[in-house]
Amino acid sequence: MSAPLFSLRQLAKQFGTRVLFENERLEFESGSGYVLTGPNGSGKTTLLRIVAGLEPAGGLIEFRGQLSLIAAYPEEWRREVVYVHQQPYLFHTSIEKNLGYGLARRGMPAAERGEHARDALEWAGLGDRREVPPHKLSGGEKQRAALARAKVLNPTLLLLDEPTANLDGDARKQVLELVTALCIENHTVVVASHDPEIIRLAILNRVHVADGHIKSDD
Amino acid sequence: MEWFEPTGLAFFLLLTGDADLWRIIFTSLICSVIALLLISPAAIALGFLIAKITFPGRRALVVLVQALLSFPTVVVGLVLYMLLSRQGPFGFLKLLFTPEAIIIGYMIIAFPVLVVFTLSAVQGADPRIYETARSLGASPLRSALTTLFEVRFGVMAAVFNGFGRVVSEVGCAIMVGGNIAGLTRNIPTAIALETSKGDFAQGIALGFVLIVVAIGINAALAWLQGRGGLE
Repeated sequence: MSAPLFSLRQLAKQFGTRVLFENERLEFESGSGYVLTGPNGSGKTTLLRIVAGLEPAGGLIEFRGQLSLIAAYPEEWRREVVYVHQQPYLFHTSIEKNLGYGLARRGMPAAERGEHARDALEWAGLGDRREVPPHKLSGGEKQRAALARAKVLNPTLLLLDEPTANLDGDARKQVLELVTALCIENHTVVVASHDPEIIRLAILNRVHVADGHIKSDD
Repeated sequence: MEWFEPTGLAFFLLLTGDADLWRIIFTSLICSVIALLLISPAAIALGFLIAKITFPGRRALVVLVQALLSFPTVVVGLVLYMLLSRQGPFGFLKLLFTPEAIIIGYMIIAFPVLVVFTLSAVQGADPRIYETARSLGASPLRSALTTLFEVRFGVMAAVFNGFGRVVSEVGCAIMVGGNIAGLTRNIPTAIALETSKGDFAQGIALGFVLIVVAIGINAALAWLQGRGGLE
C-alpha cells in the first residue's frame, strides 16, 4: 500500500477545557474523495481548518512524505491545500479578479490569469458573470464562484466545508454537480457535509467524526 | 453690520490670490499631507497588529492609544518644544520653529487617530478575509494587505480623520512652529494671530478655507464609498 498523501497524527485539540480530539489519526490517499460526517459541533469544520493550516492544534502533519508539527504548518503547503468556507468570502472586486487572486500569488502573469479564470468560470456556469461584483451574486452563485476560485488553482488537496448548506433547489443541485465533478477529476477532495446526497456519493469515502474520535468506514 | 465688511474683504483676498494668504494655506496643507504620508504606514500597521494579534497587555495598549486621542495638542507641542529646543536632547537638529517641527508634531497628533480608526475597521472586518487570502496561498503580509484593502473605506476614514485633526490644530503648531510669517504660519495659527490683532478679514478667509477642506474631505470619502458599491 502506498503512503498516504496527507495524514494527521497524534492530533490533539481543545477549546478551553473542552477536549475535542486527543491522540487521533487521519489519512487521505492521493486522488481519493472523502466526506466527513457527524453531528453539529463534532469538530468537522475544525478538522478541515486544521488540515488547511488555519487552526492551531497539537500533533504532527505529514504531506507528501514530509513531516511537520501542525503548529509549524509549512508555508509552501498552503499553495497546495485550499480550503473553502461554508459561506465563502469573495473579495470586493469582480468575480474574475477573485479567481485571479490565488493565481497571482503563484506568480502567474495577468494575461494568463484572465484566461484561466474565464475557463474556470465557464466550468462553474458563471461565464457571463465574470465582471459582476460579489454582492450582486446569489448564494448559489457565490458558492460556485468559490469552487471555481479553488479549482483554478488545481490544488493537491481541496477542502470544502458544507458546500450545499443554506442552498436549496437548483442552486443546491448545481453546487452538488460541481462537487461531484471535482471528485471525479482526480482531485483529492475532502468535504464536510450533512447533505445526504453528498454522503451517499459512491465516489467518496466516509469518515465519521463524533465524540472526539475520527473513524473511517473502511 | 460689522461682520459684512471683513467677510467681503476675506472673499476678495481669496479670489484675488493674495500671496500671503495662499502661502499660509499652502503651509497648512503641505505640512498636514506630509505628516500623514509619513505616519500612516506605521500607524495603520500597528492598528492592524493590535486588532489581529493577541498578546499580554493588548487591552492596556488599546486603552493607552485611545487615551492619546484626547491628549491636548498643546502638551504635545510643549514636550516636542523641550525635546527640540537648544538645550533639549534633539536641539542639535535645529528643527525648532521650522515646518519640519510642525510635521513631527502633526505626526504625533495623527498617530493615535490612525491607529484607533484602523483598529476599529480591522476588528469589524470579516475574519474570513484573512483566512481566505491565506488559504489561496497569500503570505501573512499579503493577507494583511488584502484585509486592509477590503476595509479600505475604514482605513481611508482613519486617514481623513487624522488629516482633519492636524489641519485644524493650533496648540502644537504655534509652540514648535513659532507662527513665523512665510515659513511656519499656517491656517489655525494665522486665524489666532489675525483675530487677536483685530484683522478679521484674513481670519474669516482662512476659516472659510478650513470649512471647505472639512467638507471636501467628507465629500471625498462619501464619493469613494459610493464608487465602491458600499453606499
